[in-house]
Amino acid sequence: MDLAKYRTIFIEESTEHFAEMSSALIALEKDPTAAESIDVVFRMAHSIKGMAGSLGYDSITELAHRMEDRMQVIRSAGCVAAGDELSLLFRGLSALETMLEAVKESGEAPAADPELIVALAAATATPCVEAPADVGEALGGAAATPAAEVPAAPAEAAGAARSEASAVAQPVQSAPSRPTQEPSRRAVNPRPPPTVRVNTQTLDRFLNTVGEVILNASQVRTSAEVTVSAKGPALTEGLDRMDRVVGELQRRALELRTTRLLRIVEPLPRTAREIAQRAGKKVDVEISGAELELDRSILDRLGDPLVHLLRNAVDHGIETPDVRVAAGKPETGKIVIDAQREKDSIRIAIRDDGAGIDLDAVRARAVQAGVLHPDLAADLPANELAALVFHPGLSTARTVSEISGRGVGMDAVRATVESLGGAVEIASERGMGTSTTLIVPITAAVQRVLLLNIAGETVALPIAKVERILELPSASVERSGREAFVLIEDDLVPVLDLAERMAVDADAPREIVNLVLTEVRGERVALTADHVAGQQQIYVKPIPELLASARALAGLTILGDGRPMFLLDLNQLA
Amino acid sequence: MARVLVADDASFMRQMIREIVEAEGHEVVGEASDGDEAVEEFKRLHPDVVTMDIVMPRRSGIDAVKGIMQLDPKACVVMCSALGQESLVQEALQAGARDFIVKPFKPESVVTTIAKVIEKPE
Repeated sequence: MDLAKYRTIFIEESTEHFAEMSSALIALEKDPTAAESIDVVFRMAHSIKGMAGSLGYDSITELAHRMEDRMQVIRSAGCVAAGDELSLLFRGLSALETMLEAVKESGEAPAADPELIVALAAATATPCVEAPADVGEALGGAAATPAAEVPAAPAEAAGAARSEASAVAQPVQSAPSRPTQEPSRRAVNPRPPPTVRVNTQTLDRFLNTVGEVILNASQVRTSAEVTVSAKGPALTEGLDRMDRVVGELQRRALELRTTRLLRIVEPLPRTAREIAQRAGKKVDVEISGAELELDRSILDRLGDPLVHLLRNAVDHGIETPDVRVAAGKPETGKIVIDAQREKDSIRIAIRDDGAGIDLDAVRARAVQAGVLHPDLAADLPANELAALVFHPGLSTARTVSEISGRGVGMDAVRATVESLGGAVEIASERGMGTSTTLIVPITAAVQRVLLLNIAGETVALPIAKVERILELPSASVERSGREAFVLIEDDLVPVLDLAERMAVDADAPREIVNLVLTEVRGERVALTADHVAGQQQIYVKPIPELLASARALAGLTILGDGRPMFLLDLNQLA
Repeated sequence: MARVLVADDASFMRQMIREIVEAEGHEVVGEASDGDEAVEEFKRLHPDVVTMDIVMPRRSGIDAVKGIMQLDPKACVVMCSALGQESLVQEALQAGARDFIVKPFKPESVVTTIAKVIEKPE
């Protein structure tokens, strides 16, 4: 038996199981009687036990076994007992995750925490919290089922009820206590079509090859047009057919690159719960639009910004229960993570009903730091004022984060999102809460770019970031030491010498300089280029491993003549 | 050589059983990841043997055995159980399952159990 292969499957499948367990436990926190959630945790623990046992990970087997037994007790009781029972289950889940992490790193599973094993094994005598009447009715089938049986009937009923529900914008986490609305990965479609599990590396290699085919096809077309003067109808037809097939291949490939947003938002309710618990706060997280799909390479980079925004919302937005009650708000704070598709982008909003940003403090700080002119500060609209928290000079300032509650690392959030070709918006109202929206493109694979020639090299910039192109006499660029500036509409704009940044030998200075006016982290910047070579739609391939350390390179494409061309990530360049 | 249908919600287990039975020269004709699918695939494929997990979503392995027995009372179903599921195994055997294997699987026991049930048609 190929142990390494099974270990990989074990890690992948368990990781998915953990996510489902986590969602189910969060659902049980809202409704301790949710039969399907109890069943999910039970089944996942059982499945992990079986896999771990087959691989000889005895400590994981034992802990999963204890979890399963505990869920069995909970199932016969019909609910998760009030008090510490749920925390115990969360602890069990965290311990399993830690152990799996160790397996991933070293191939060995550490011993299970004996205290946790004992706690899980201890019989619970705590009675159920009284379930709402309608839930009791809905669970009628389960209540009649003996404890040791698998209650498939309620799960089926729930599945049937869900299948009638709209698949669009269905909340993944929702407060209602009826089990029919219980969150689950299967909630959207009770009978998914058969799937095969493909290693992401294999998929990436495949997609790279598809990219190769697309680029080669365009090369063939270009050279056929150049070299074959008298094209016969057979060649023309052949090329047209190739274009159609390659176009179809490209669309299918883009579909394969997409992943559900669910993958990164699913763990957020639990993260929020943990942060809130440490801060002595209560928070409910609602998610909608998690079924939307976007490019995996974009999704992978959105995880950290989302966790960061969530952390900010809980730490600094949501007030402590007593403060909330005093302000006439419900004791439990609410955070809504809502994703919506808008043409070729997805808007992911994180809204809290907390204290909001203290805009006066932001204004004062911005003036003090010299970011904002005092005369302008007084009239600046609220949304522009709130957006100052993304300013690098302000967002890292400790005082601002203490006063306004937001700011630490917000510039990092913006830089990441902008590197992806997206944008961030923020709106806040004192006492009512804050809403931060990440707008990201659905695909990173096809982009419109501006081509620039720099010292014989051609590079590409995402065109969405270009404000305009200027031709100015080189004398208008003012130099002071190593810095260079140009005056554009009374605005002193820093000039970035791309040749210097790219460490290529610049051509001899010219009379007229081409400046590409763009934006880097919210600041206008002018880039120098020898020649602006037009715009083009390109299929972006990932940067090869060998060049991964060159962070300023966002992607690669192959030009019609076979030469490689790099797509620049401006945020990493400046 | 037997035609085998493997029903288990964990792809880990499905692969493992597949590898074990294929090494013995049997053919895995289908896989199912829940009880409903197991019954449907049985109806479609008419396998010689079904390996059936007990704990599965939507419809448990035991209910699936009952469903299969209604379709074909002579069907050969082998339950895949874990320690602590003795009473469930008992129920499955009463419902018509021929035999059972206990996780974690030893390849020999999977092979001998399958050999046993296909040699002894009822």
